[in-house]
Amino acid sequence: MASSGSQQPPPYKPYRHIRTLRAHERAVSCVKFSNDGTLLASASLDKTLILWSSPDFSLVHRLIGHSDGVSDLAWSSDSHYICSASDDRTLRIWDARAPFDCLKILKGHSDIVFCVNFNPQSNLIVSGSFDETIRIWEVKTGKGVRVIRAHSMPVTSVHFNRDGSLIVSGSHDGSCKIWEASSGTCLKTLIDDKNPAVSFVKFSPNGKFILVATLDSTLKLWNYSTGKFLKIYSGHTNKVYCITSTFSVTNGKYIVSGSEDKCVYLWDLQQKTMVQKLESHTDTVISVTCHPTENKIASAGLDGDRSIRIWHQD
Amino acid sequence: MNAPIIDPLQGDFPEVIEEYLHHGVTKCIAFNRRGTLLAAGCTDGSCVIWDFETRGVAKELRDKDCIAAITSICWSKYGHRILVSSADKSLILWDVASGEKITRITLHHTPLLARLHPGSSTPSLCLTCPLSSAPMIVDFNTGNTTVLPVTVSEVDSGPAPPSRNKPSDGPPYTPTAACFNKFGDLVYVGNSKGEILIIDHKSIQVHAMVPTPAGAVIKNIVFSRDGQYLLTNSNDRTIRIYENLLPLKDGLTALGDLNKTVDEVAGVEKMKAVGSKCLALFREFQDTITKVHWKAPCFSGDGEWLIGGSASKGEHKIYIWDRVGHLVKILEGPKEALIDLAWHPVHPIIVSVSLTGMVYVWAKDHTENWSAFAPDFKELEENEEYVEREDEFDLIPEAEKVKESDINEDGDVDIVTVEKDAFSDSDMSQEELCFLPANPCPDVPEQQDKCVGSSSKLMGSNNSGSPLSEEAGQNGQAMNHASSPLEEDTGGTRMKRKRKPSEKGLELQAEKGRKPLKSSGRLSKTRSKPVADRDISNGIYGDDISD
Repeated sequence: MASSGSQQPPPYKPYRHIRTLRAHERAVSCVKFSNDGTLLASASLDKTLILWSSPDFSLVHRLIGHSDGVSDLAWSSDSHYICSASDDRTLRIWDARAPFDCLKILKGHSDIVFCVNFNPQSNLIVSGSFDETIRIWEVKTGKGVRVIRAHSMPVTSVHFNRDGSLIVSGSHDGSCKIWEASSGTCLKTLIDDKNPAVSFVKFSPNGKFILVATLDSTLKLWNYSTGKFLKIYSGHTNKVYCITSTFSVTNGKYIVSGSEDKCVYLWDLQQKTMVQKLESHTDTVISVTCHPTENKIASAGLDGDRSIRIWHQD
Repeated sequence: MNAPIIDPLQGDFPEVIEEYLHHGVTKCIAFNRRGTLLAAGCTDGSCVIWDFETRGVAKELRDKDCIAAITSICWSKYGHRILVSSADKSLILWDVASGEKITRITLHHTPLLARLHPGSSTPSLCLTCPLSSAPMIVDFNTGNTTVLPVTVSEVDSGPAPPSRNKPSDGPPYTPTAACFNKFGDLVYVGNSKGEILIIDHKSIQVHAMVPTPAGAVIKNIVFSRDGQYLLTNSNDRTIRIYENLLPLKDGLTALGDLNKTVDEVAGVEKMKAVGSKCLALFREFQDTITKVHWKAPCFSGDGEWLIGGSASKGEHKIYIWDRVGHLVKILEGPKEALIDLAWHPVHPIIVSVSLTGMVYVWAKDHTENWSAFAPDFKELEENEEYVEREDEFDLIPEAEKVKESDINEDGDVDIVTVEKDAFSDSDMSQEELCFLPANPCPDVPEQQDKCVGSSSKLMGSNNSGSPLSEEAGQNGQAMNHASSPLEEDTGGTRMKRKRKPSEKGLELQAEKGRKPLKSSGRLSKTRSKPVADRDISNGIYGDDISD
């Protein structure tokens, strides 16, 4: 699909808004589809997480337990467990199957835990916090395996690469750092000339590139081994919030991101052109997620909206 | 994938002890094919599988019938099965994913070494070297044992009759070493006369014989992972490396062809002639000064390095050579004899087992590469004189200062293709078992009194992995304590009053019994602290640290 320019890509079919899910009492902070595509999880500042089934999007369960708002959540690879990061300085591991117990509480951070992710083997969890550290936890016992003094400002995003050997972290201090997961040593720092705060980082599906969102309304695709960025995506607004973005690979390659102008933006990965702007939310779209197999996007809105909207491409 | 950013200049062999793993008294260890799991056999007959990434216990294989010490442990090719040999004369085959015993076979003699046939993912054959008998092939499906010949003279009287279930009679053998070649079609036996016999285990025929110089008893015989090199450890305190001249696949047919081409009269001379075409002596390794005996020699994962442990009691020394013969390092551990050694299949990590049952993990000393933090900086080996450009410090008007963007922004970026990884053999048809699912052990809701009561139980168990691994997930009672050492850790980080102890260090401290009661107090303190007081929290943690 990548190399030959002579083939015309199929004409772009727009996404349509098909559902609105309202169940949170405060801003929704994060939505994620499970890796097997059967569930959608959403986290909110109302201290709860909600599990929705897919594709009918009925409410399956509300996970209650945190004592403060939840900022991020992550699914384990087998879609059995969810880990949530909360303002109450803890992370919780929940069972995504009945009876939906909270299995573990991971304590150790000294400030708001902002971001979390499982490694592909799902035996480790990485979390980033406002206390400027990254912590790696063992899933089975809940013990902290490592603490990395990573940045000089809050860590906004952490992600494992495809084989779990590297961790990328982004921070308000404007740098993206790549760490070796087994030893916690820093392997590379990516920093741009103007160093705007980094609000989100993520590895590409093959682990070779990093998608970096910065608070100057720009998304960049970096090749981290050369330290140079290859693509820039702009047109949206992102100056305040840590908006998540993602790769859409089910039907052509796109970059999807939320925006502070209440829309969801889609860009063509190679051409960098904006192909669609999804309008429906009534406040900043803080999080977007793509279904692993179907052409569906779920997006979440902040306090003025409090809903999750589902978009479908025919 | 991440190879471009890892510094290639760092040596490829470990230097220091990074960690120790302790769960029962370990006797022998084996890595799975990718090095993600480490299986360890213990003196109480159980087998512990460590998740090497988290350094925690992933599974325990325990059989109530087998309580005697494990003498050797071996993985099947794709990690689905583990074979253990035990001091109560039995061999047990386990299914790793389920943790269930598949079969147990009792032999007439204690097996010292047992190796599964490397050719398939669910092997039915294994090779075992018993204490006082010749090596034999055991078939799990039928339970039959086939004794292999150990001297060439046996062959003169025709192929040895397949001895089914025949206990060996005659003078007791010195334990003979044996191993499969890479695809398992041939068995290489090292006998007490210092000869290497190449045997076809199906027809029980010796096809070739290679005498080692000095003719000393061969104690270990091991192939490198890629099957290109063979090492023997002999009683004359020498490790020898042989280059394997036979093709890796179809070694048997090649051997048959060689037999036909060599026109010597059948017998010992012919065996030697064929043998000289199968193995070529490459190098010899010995310590000429201390003349130490070697224990558990093996190759590194890529076959570039060779390690051997010193067999002297009272010292834990690991010698590392490169394949050409240069001694590159001697690793010295605590003063306990070394009983087993393994090199990680992928990373430059060595795992050694000491007589006390402790497993030591040796890894490279991590020195931060400073240019990792500041990408514009380049590390220099020595001082360089900097010659500035003619116009370097000129003040240029703004217009020219625009940095030209030399990025090819139009090139297509491929975000989904993954390179074939160096590990997959061309014949890999089945799923490899790389990881055991990590199911979190449920916490019990915290209560202060429970904290104090169960804390001593947690601290008492002395190991690095999950403290309650014996319960294997049933009782998560003291799990909340796993986090309490970290509370101190956090405080240490913020206050920078003392060097931040490693996780292990904290556990060791805690075991001394001082911490448990204090930490429960700390739990209640932090819980009641309102989040609003975040600014003052520094001071609070600081107070707590003063012991």
